[in-house]
Amino acid sequence: MSNSPTGVGDAAPEGAAGASAPPRRKPVRRGPVDPVKALLHRHRELCARAVDPLEIAAGLEAHGVTDRTAARYRHRDVFSLAEEMYARVPRDERPSAVHAAPAAPAVRRPPRAHTLLALLPPAVGGATVAAYELTSGHGRLAALLVGGPALAVALRIALPRGPLRARGGAVPGTRAWSVFLLLYALFGDGLLSAALAGGPDAPWPPDTGALLGLALAYAPAVWCARLFAVGARRRLGQSRGLEEFAAGARPLLLAVVALYAAFAVGLLVLTGRLGGQAQPAFGAALLAVLLLLARLLTAYGFRVVPGVVLGGVCALEGFAVAAVFGARLPGCGWLAVPVETVGAGAVPVFACGAGAVVLLVAAARRLTRASAHAGVPGETG
Amino acid sequence: MRIGLLTEGGYPYVTGEARLWCDRLVRGLGQHAFEVFALTRSAEQEQQGWTELPPQVHRVRTAPLWNADDGSGRGGSGRGGHGRGGHDSPGGGVRYGRRQRRRFAAHYGELAAAISTGAVGAVGDGSASASAEVADRFANALYGLAELARDEGGLALALRSETAVRALERACRAPGATRAAHDARVPDLLAVAAQVEQALRPLSLDWYEDEEGGLGSVDLCHAASGGCAALPGLLARHFFGVPLLVTEYGVQLRAHYLAGAGARADAPAPAAGASARALVAAFHGRLAGEVYRQAALITPGNTHARRWQEKCGAERAKLRTVYPGMAAGRFAEVGEAGADQADPGTLLWVGRIEPAKDLVGLLHAFAEVRKEEPNARLRIVGAPAHGEECDLYLAHCRALAAQLFPDEADGVHAVGDNPVSFEELGGPEAPELADAYAAGSVVVLSSVVEGFPVGLVEAMFCGRATVSTDAGAVVEVIGGTGLVVPPRNPKALADACVALLRDPERRERLGAAARARALELFTVEQNIAAFHALYLEIVSHCPVRRDVVDEDGDPLPFANPAETHVAGRWSTAPGTDGAAGPRFGQWLAARKGARGGPSWASAETGAETGAETGPEEVTEGGAEKGPEGAEGTAPVGAVAAAAVSEGEA
Repeated sequence: MSNSPTGVGDAAPEGAAGASAPPRRKPVRRGPVDPVKALLHRHRELCARAVDPLEIAAGLEAHGVTDRTAARYRHRDVFSLAEEMYARVPRDERPSAVHAAPAAPAVRRPPRAHTLLALLPPAVGGATVAAYELTSGHGRLAALLVGGPALAVALRIALPRGPLRARGGAVPGTRAWSVFLLLYALFGDGLLSAALAGGPDAPWPPDTGALLGLALAYAPAVWCARLFAVGARRRLGQSRGLEEFAAGARPLLLAVVALYAAFAVGLLVLTGRLGGQAQPAFGAALLAVLLLLARLLTAYGFRVVPGVVLGGVCALEGFAVAAVFGARLPGCGWLAVPVETVGAGAVPVFACGAGAVVLLVAAARRLTRASAHAGVPGETG
Repeated sequence: MRIGLLTEGGYPYVTGEARLWCDRLVRGLGQHAFEVFALTRSAEQEQQGWTELPPQVHRVRTAPLWNADDGSGRGGSGRGGHGRGGHDSPGGGVRYGRRQRRRFAAHYGELAAAISTGAVGAVGDGSASASAEVADRFANALYGLAELARDEGGLALALRSETAVRALERACRAPGATRAAHDARVPDLLAVAAQVEQALRPLSLDWYEDEEGGLGSVDLCHAASGGCAALPGLLARHFFGVPLLVTEYGVQLRAHYLAGAGARADAPAPAAGASARALVAAFHGRLAGEVYRQAALITPGNTHARRWQEKCGAERAKLRTVYPGMAAGRFAEVGEAGADQADPGTLLWVGRIEPAKDLVGLLHAFAEVRKEEPNARLRIVGAPAHGEECDLYLAHCRALAAQLFPDEADGVHAVGDNPVSFEELGGPEAPELADAYAAGSVVVLSSVVEGFPVGLVEAMFCGRATVSTDAGAVVEVIGGTGLVVPPRNPKALADACVALLRDPERRERLGAAARARALELFTVEQNIAAFHALYLEIVSHCPVRRDVVDEDGDPLPFANPAETHVAGRWSTAPGTDGAAGPRFGQWLAARKGARGGPSWASAETGAETGAETGPEEVTEGGAEKGPEGAEGTAPVGAVAAAAVSEGEA
């Protein structure tokens, strides 16, 4: 192999072949009639993917073609040779190259460790609830005191390594609101019921069924987020225009959210049954949907709206509690009327439901923009 | 004079391109005050820290070009322990209101329209008025965006927003868009928007102020490369009229094409299709065109870069070739000692061992040489190379050498040795580069692909006769003080080597001439002196016009005499030269067109007309043009021409 991989065309390369008798006239090796054609063939990949003559010129020069080589092809310089080559690339090949390249915006399969990570918060939540249920007295307190922080740590580990990773860092406000909402799901209903009944006179039991259901709902949340990312990516590759993409992404988003809502309701009904509750915790299910939407928006770089909406939901719930206690002041009895009318269990349903609807509208507008999918939230997840 | 040195991924950092050159320039021009404005390419680079800065560097401002997402909360990294630096972040964009968004959309739409109509190749030829109009459109949009960023704050968010993508889509679907633009799909649009955002990050910097520390306060902007690095200079010229000098040792546009052709490891998220590449290439092409249009002077590092710049629309009158300077001091001893300490029958090859250097061809040529000169030896001194491919190639070359040349010994009782030796630089046989050159009597360069041949210049500094292949800037560097043969022609290479090995007198003559040429053209001093002269020339012809104010800040009328507004004459009298050059070129082109296919002889004359405008290129010209200088009767041209004609047959 006397030629290095970067092949430049000598029409008649002089090798070691003619070493024996230099004076004798060697048989002339005839090149093709059209030398540029051979050159085109040799650099067909370069020519096929070149977007303008200058790219061919740069590529030819990188392969050692100089102006003097170009002179052999009857051209003044590499640029004019490249122009001829660009003009002579078969036209019917180009569209296929155009369309083949962007068609596969690959979403890498998530590593197995990340799949397992999605199961970490459910596992920790399940263990906490099991410990709580199996012990009594101080053991329960210890289970809550250990399990709560453990769940927080599990979320801190799992969230940044999945498709729900917040782009550009999480917003502290959003995090604080989320913690408040989870605490409310755990203790809020009991507190409100006790307050409506005139208490609380004794420590009321936390709603462990809701906690378990929410913890278990983390896994389908990750799965749904990945489903959305992959689906949006596929639509991104297929659609020709931004409108087309939006039209395709909107039903996808709605379907994913509906699927997740079904998951959440199913899980919470199941855990409610296990906990022996009569009616399923729709408030907690709506909270799960709300949190998914907020996190989805954060993951795609929209950080303001989720913060505001979660804050609003917190304010609603906090206001309900405050109103019930405020009604005990003389002359303020009317404050508790709305909560008394709907009942304690309906407060989170209304608050989270309203928040989820607002976020769904926001997501339907924002997550169907192509620019939201320019970064890769789902790729390393 | 206060000079704003604009670099991208380079100078003040320890790892960077053109770092040595900038360092020498700054150290060499102690009479000027330098303010370095550096754009960085990666976090690793910032962590490496800065080089030792001389006192004439008054201020360093750096800004990253690399972070994709978080722009804020990341100041102060990689300061390198210097107190006089500032770290500016273009990332943290401002969320625009409705009016700003409308303004942004209008400018961005213009920009998109400018890059989606017409190919870059049309710049400079063809429909001149149409391409000028497109260039104008691009420039106006660019400055519009810059003004918006200056008035309202960072563009980063807006450039990544849906507004931008939508404007891009509209431009691509508009009538008059190129076919590639018309075929763009959503991933392409996103890729283009991301790349444009990255390239336009310098717009969002807060460098464009009139007061101390801003680009408005310098007298001259010197961009160490084209492309993004020149963008701040372009804006300084737009906002304050600061003249811009652009130095390009490698043309950015070409580097962009080559990077696009390779594996795109750092490509933005959606796989970039052909349409995206076409649009991004058009963007970079237009940007390069605008930089060349606005620059007061452009200094390519060699003729190759110069041709690319001309192709991208640079005016010939603005081009001044300034060769890169190299430290000649370490070769002085070897160079002055002459060739007598060299082993007379030794051919020497020095470089990084990689396929582009065509060592296989060299070994075949050496086989030919050995038939004529049985005592000849070949030493291959390789710089430590990295990479699997290079290791494989080295192993392959060793195997080939062992096959071609059996070990041989002086007598029956002596231990044999191979006539081809592979050595590593820094090893016992060649501890220093100069030692390696000292041992060889003829230095051979067998590259197929070559940029600026540094090894050849080193050999010239050492006063060694050279045989090189005609690749890259070899001909322009050697300029008749060494033998040049076509690449991939071992026979011609062998003939030239044998000719030199047999003629010590000619070797000495060529070596002396080469050393004289190198000392005249490729020294650091030459480089610094050229830039010093260029600085003075620019400042005397297009100074910054600032309003003179008194102590209270009120403008002083008539502080600038009216004469300062009259355009001065360039010292090289472009009225004659600059006008005659192009006209002569046109005449030549017309003649060639009439004659049919242009031959390379006419390309040669074209190069001569190009050389006319550059005052530095006194001794320019192809080696084939014949002997110049010390080489009186040597058949340099004969060897090369014979080989070429053989090749053509």
